[in-house]
Amino acid sequence: MSKEETKVKGPNGTSRRDFLRKAGSYTAASLSGTAMLLSDPKPAKATANVSWAEHFQKNYRLMTDEEKKEAVTRLEHRYSEEFGKKVEVDDAPAMDGVLFGYALNIQKCIGCRRCVKACVAENNQSRGENQQIEWIRVLRMEKGKFSAEDRDRQGYPEDYGVQVGGNAYKPAGVVLEGQHYYEPDLVPEKDAFYLPMQCMQCEKPPCVKVCPVRTTYRDPDGIVVIDYNWCIGCRMCIGACPYWARRFNWGEPDLPAQEMNPDTHYLGNRPRMKGVVEKCTFCVQRTRKGRWTACVEVCPVGARKMGNLLDPESDVRKVLASKKVFRLRADLNTYPKFFYFME
Amino acid sequence: MTIYHLFGPVISLCLLAAASVASAAGDTVRKDEKTCFESRKGLSQVRKHEIEPGVMNVKCSPITGGVLFWGDPFDGTIPMGDMPVEADYSHEEAVVKPREPQIDRNKLLTICAMACHNGEYVPYPENKLARPLRMHKDIVPDSMQLKHGKGAIWCLDCHHAVTRTKLIDHYGNEVSFNQSQKLCGKCHGQVYRSWRNGIHGKRIGMWRKGGKKRWWTCTECHNPHDVEQGGRNSGFAQLNPEPAPMLPKGMSNADHERGHGEEHGR
Repeated sequence: MSKEETKVKGPNGTSRRDFLRKAGSYTAASLSGTAMLLSDPKPAKATANVSWAEHFQKNYRLMTDEEKKEAVTRLEHRYSEEFGKKVEVDDAPAMDGVLFGYALNIQKCIGCRRCVKACVAENNQSRGENQQIEWIRVLRMEKGKFSAEDRDRQGYPEDYGVQVGGNAYKPAGVVLEGQHYYEPDLVPEKDAFYLPMQCMQCEKPPCVKVCPVRTTYRDPDGIVVIDYNWCIGCRMCIGACPYWARRFNWGEPDLPAQEMNPDTHYLGNRPRMKGVVEKCTFCVQRTRKGRWTACVEVCPVGARKMGNLLDPESDVRKVLASKKVFRLRADLNTYPKFFYFME
Repeated sequence: MTIYHLFGPVISLCLLAAASVASAAGDTVRKDEKTCFESRKGLSQVRKHEIEPGVMNVKCSPITGGVLFWGDPFDGTIPMGDMPVEADYSHEEAVVKPREPQIDRNKLLTICAMACHNGEYVPYPENKLARPLRMHKDIVPDSMQLKHGKGAIWCLDCHHAVTRTKLIDHYGNEVSFNQSQKLCGKCHGQVYRSWRNGIHGKRIGMWRKGGKKRWWTCTECHNPHDVEQGGRNSGFAQLNPEPAPMLPKGMSNADHERGHGEEHGR
């Protein structure tokens, strides 16, 4: 078999040409689907597995339980075939009496980016040369040199740095400026602190407000999720998010089969396709089974805490009760459920 | 007795030599890709193995060797044991990874206690005042940079004088290396309380109340001999960071963000 033939042959022996010929003979209802397939630059193998049902399925929220089961089983078959291992797609709904919240100790974070890489490994993001997607971004911030009096009088200090304070009558002086691409040999550095950012799972999410097809929505446990199949890739949500939390698959995601995490959720870390938006879901595939998120588990300094905001005994509630806490851009009334705290 | 006095030093030297060889061998093993570290590089090592077909106990970063994923968060753990105070761990299953195999991995401490620090051969110190050590610079490198308690405490405030595999609290009670919190909490009470409440330190496993959790003990994150880390007051040793995110297409370097501030300051 020549190299080219290998490329065009599907897994069950049908070539791309055969497949398209069959596809063309379908009724007029499938014309749009055919057009999509014709313009799809995916390799033949993956295209052959895209079923018509998947293309024509409803918005996840409007599906009946049977339709959801059907969609999930379909995906499990497709992924298992594509990645050569038993892939489980969970569709667990939100748990009753749970509202997820997150707390991050900003004094402890050493900026090692281990959460970033663990998130990529857990959530099947695209990696490799062409496209790298990371849901967590760690900003390196310079420590400011300022006094409390200067903060209110002058605004931005002469010796620049990060500063807090200011209100409607005084200069704000808050600058969110950080380095994304810092690469020292060793962290933490003496004159820096680190600010990890990811989806804040807002109670009033601007991304949900702007989505024209309502594919992204807030689930009852407070997690903002995306039905990737319904996403049209307009990227309005990316523009609306004040926390730079959302990422777009500009190209075909690059996910090596041996690195793929087979434990997935429909609304979470199942493999995405080209042209859809994705973001942190507090590891919905883990947290709805009771396990902590990947980033909480790997943080080597224990700076990350997650739990149920409705349970007064949870880690997050204890942090809120006993530590100094702030949220990013609280002025925007997005009510993030991601809190930063200090001792 | 006389024979012991003659041969004692010889025997102990041999033992120490054996121990250092073992330690050197340990170092080479750690560089191997089969071993990675959890929190403290070198002192929270974990060896990769399969827990069930196709599932590894840990997945590690190929660049820094840090653990990125636990296949089974409770692999290799033991029950935390009874603690005198009621807190989170009293109501749910709490496990820890034993520290003794990490700290005494070359059986160095065991040998020390048998060969020299048995209360007879090396004279027992008259008091606990800090004094520079004349020996052991090679075996206990941390001993030369002891920075804990602003010079107020010294080796035998925490380590057992003759049973080197044990710690002691300030009453002289033996404390296991697996339960260092019982010792550290004696001075760092506030941190200890936070830790008991689950808001200081690290736990993995199930987030739900009543779910099983693996707790990290003090020395799994902090170096007790050099807590302040050379005046950086960080509490954590420096680590190699994971690589930076990929630059956006068309951007050749990240210089634009390096020298920031100047245009804003004016």
